Amino acid sequence: MSLPTILSITEAEIDLNDLLARITLPTTGAAAIFTGMVREVTSREPAHETLFLEYEAYKPMAEAKMQQVADEIRKRWPVVEGIAIVQRVGRLEPQTPTVLIACSAAHREDGVFDAARYGIDRLKEIVPVWKKEAGAGGEWWVEGAYVPKPGE
Amino acid sequence: MNKIKVLFFATLRQRAGMKALELDVPDDLDVQGLRSQLSRDYPELRESLKTVVVAINREFAFDEAVIPANGEVALFPPVSGG
Repeated sequence: MSLPTILSITEAEIDLNDLLARITLPTTGAAAIFTGMVREVTSREPAHETLFLEYEAYKPMAEAKMQQVADEIRKRWPVVEGIAIVQRVGRLEPQTPTVLIACSAAHREDGVFDAARYGIDRLKEIVPVWKKEAGAGGEWWVEGAYVPKPGE
Repeated sequence: MNKIKVLFFATLRQRAGMKALELDVPDDLDVQGLRSQLSRDYPELRESLKTVVVAINREFAFDEAVIPANGEVALFPPVSGG
């Protein structure tokens, strides 16, 4: 039996219920789900309001890097059962989910929280997707903080 | 000579005004050489090319990497997904 690994770059609305169902096996008792959404009001400096975000992906490489993230999760948390990594692209309005990382296992002690946390942090390092922010000052591409190293 | 495809994303795509470019380059051209060549030919990309992240055939690549035959090279800023 192969474990469910769902990796997706999509314009479609993220369906949390569907993804959870797909990573729930007969043996599953726990799932940790992280979802990020478009934040309208940012209090952290520089404080500002966001009109919308627009996401662009280098799709074939993004899918390959998502597979790498899933492989890294499986290596580090070998009893994780299902993994779902979904990045939505296109123009997204405030309060809309943009990304989902979900990990399931038999028990909550089996690493699901840590694996999901690792998944989102790692996606933000190596998966080739970019967001453009639209606000009062115009539109600008957000530059990430992470530069990959050889072998990543 | 090596016929390669260069893909631009995000800030680079915006500044280049195009998604992709086909180039004929020397067989031994490396990533650093490509960045230099593009900086000369596309001055609007010069700033972005200083901090650009590069991928060759969907793997991250670094300055000394020689671009393989018919390689697909992607140029983009540090990623900002999620």
